[in-house]
Amino acid sequence: MKHLRPQEHWGWIIAIYLYLAGMGAGSYIIGAIINWFIHPSRVVLIRGLALDPAKAALLWGPILVAIGAPFLVLDLGIKKRFLYACLNPRTSWVARGFLILSIFIVFGLILLAKSVLPFGWLHAESDLWYIPEVIAIAFAFGTAIYTGILLKATKSIPLWNTYLLPLLFLVSALSTGSMAIILSTLGTGLFSHDAGALEVLISGEQILVVIEGIVLYLYLSRRYRVSEQGKDSVRLLLFGKKKLIFWGGIVLLGFIFPFVLETIAAFSHGNVVLIFVSGLTLLCGGFFLRLGVLSAGIKEQIPMQRWTEFQYDLKAINTKDLPGN
Amino acid sequence: MEERVLVVDQQKCTGCRQCELVCSVYHTGSSNPSRSRIKVVKWEHAGIYLPLICNHCEKAYCLEVCPTKACHREPELNNRVVIDKKLCIGCKTCIMACPFSHPFFDIKEQVTVKCDYCDGDPQCVAFCYAKALFFTDADKIQMSKKREAANKFLESLKQIR
Repeated sequence: MKHLRPQEHWGWIIAIYLYLAGMGAGSYIIGAIINWFIHPSRVVLIRGLALDPAKAALLWGPILVAIGAPFLVLDLGIKKRFLYACLNPRTSWVARGFLILSIFIVFGLILLAKSVLPFGWLHAESDLWYIPEVIAIAFAFGTAIYTGILLKATKSIPLWNTYLLPLLFLVSALSTGSMAIILSTLGTGLFSHDAGALEVLISGEQILVVIEGIVLYLYLSRRYRVSEQGKDSVRLLLFGKKKLIFWGGIVLLGFIFPFVLETIAAFSHGNVVLIFVSGLTLLCGGFFLRLGVLSAGIKEQIPMQRWTEFQYDLKAINTKDLPGN
Repeated sequence: MEERVLVVDQQKCTGCRQCELVCSVYHTGSSNPSRSRIKVVKWEHAGIYLPLICNHCEKAYCLEVCPTKACHREPELNNRVVIDKKLCIGCKTCIMACPFSHPFFDIKEQVTVKCDYCDGDPQCVAFCYAKALFFTDADKIQMSKKREAANKFLESLKQIR
């Protein structure tokens, strides 16, 4: 295999940012839908305050996004200028993302506080609360899709320049998000296996994993055919230096382990340990998916360089002197 | 005012990298080609050298993706696309977006930098002894390219006859 050099500007820090933003948004979408239709509640008295930790387990997504956002700041050259990142939302997806994530975090945290804490004066049962809830869900979807669009906006990297990437990251966000909810409620009895609630959640999770696998296949097969650099990126991910991330991290941890362990757990009356392990592996798989896609991105060849090689019929390419490599 | 552009005659480039050196001295005060705004790609085995410069594109991706508007166009100064160091946050989005791999991340300053035509007097042009770099009127270079294409066409016609 020829020497392939992917981009090195965005690495594991951005992967963590994309992962936490996606997982947080996905978990909020699933949690809010469950909260709408099932209304699970378990009020606990702590120092005289009636708190509802069941809601916290469902709606803690914005906290994950709020933890992930500083990783983007960490990757900046001049970190103290991070507030400048919202100055150009007209054309820049980084600026748009800054605003989308900020709105989601603010609305999500307000709704989380309202649901968990005993603020009677807020009239938690009022129908008016549906408005911020719908806004929060819309921005949660926006956050999950944005993580893919941010990469898609980089047109010179064929591996990223496709609408299948935001779709892949959205499905992965829902899959990891629903697993985050299963893990956060595991052992609390909120969704018991006997009542069938846990079974439904895990079945939904398995369906998402299968859909994610199909989208990943479509994504990679299309990228393989799109251009020479797209082909090189897929080869780098599947058979090159990044193959451990793909086969070990994405395929084994993200797809095979969770699917098999969840199936075994379904036949063993919802074995908590099996579900816990499958959950952890799936969450790791979600991170490796972002890391793999990021680290295998190879830029299109510079047009002048391609033209020169064509003009002089230069077969062997010395890429080490190229800018950006 | 006539718009001027930086043009490369790749066939004249000897790969001496003087342009990289003077660019870094002019912009950073240090003779460090890794901080230069021009890069020379080399095919050593074939003896071919290609200086890569910013094209200050009409539809500049670096300008579109910049979240802070640090990357902006200055129509009054040869329509150049430049990065305001005071606004740049070093997110590297412009580096990822540019199909010509042009903006560079300056490790020392922690911001992205790019060619600014040295405020109208490009040092790479002034110091290129092989005359492989020109800073010329945009219209003239269009004419010379057309003339070159016409000459090639004429030569091929002669060969056929």
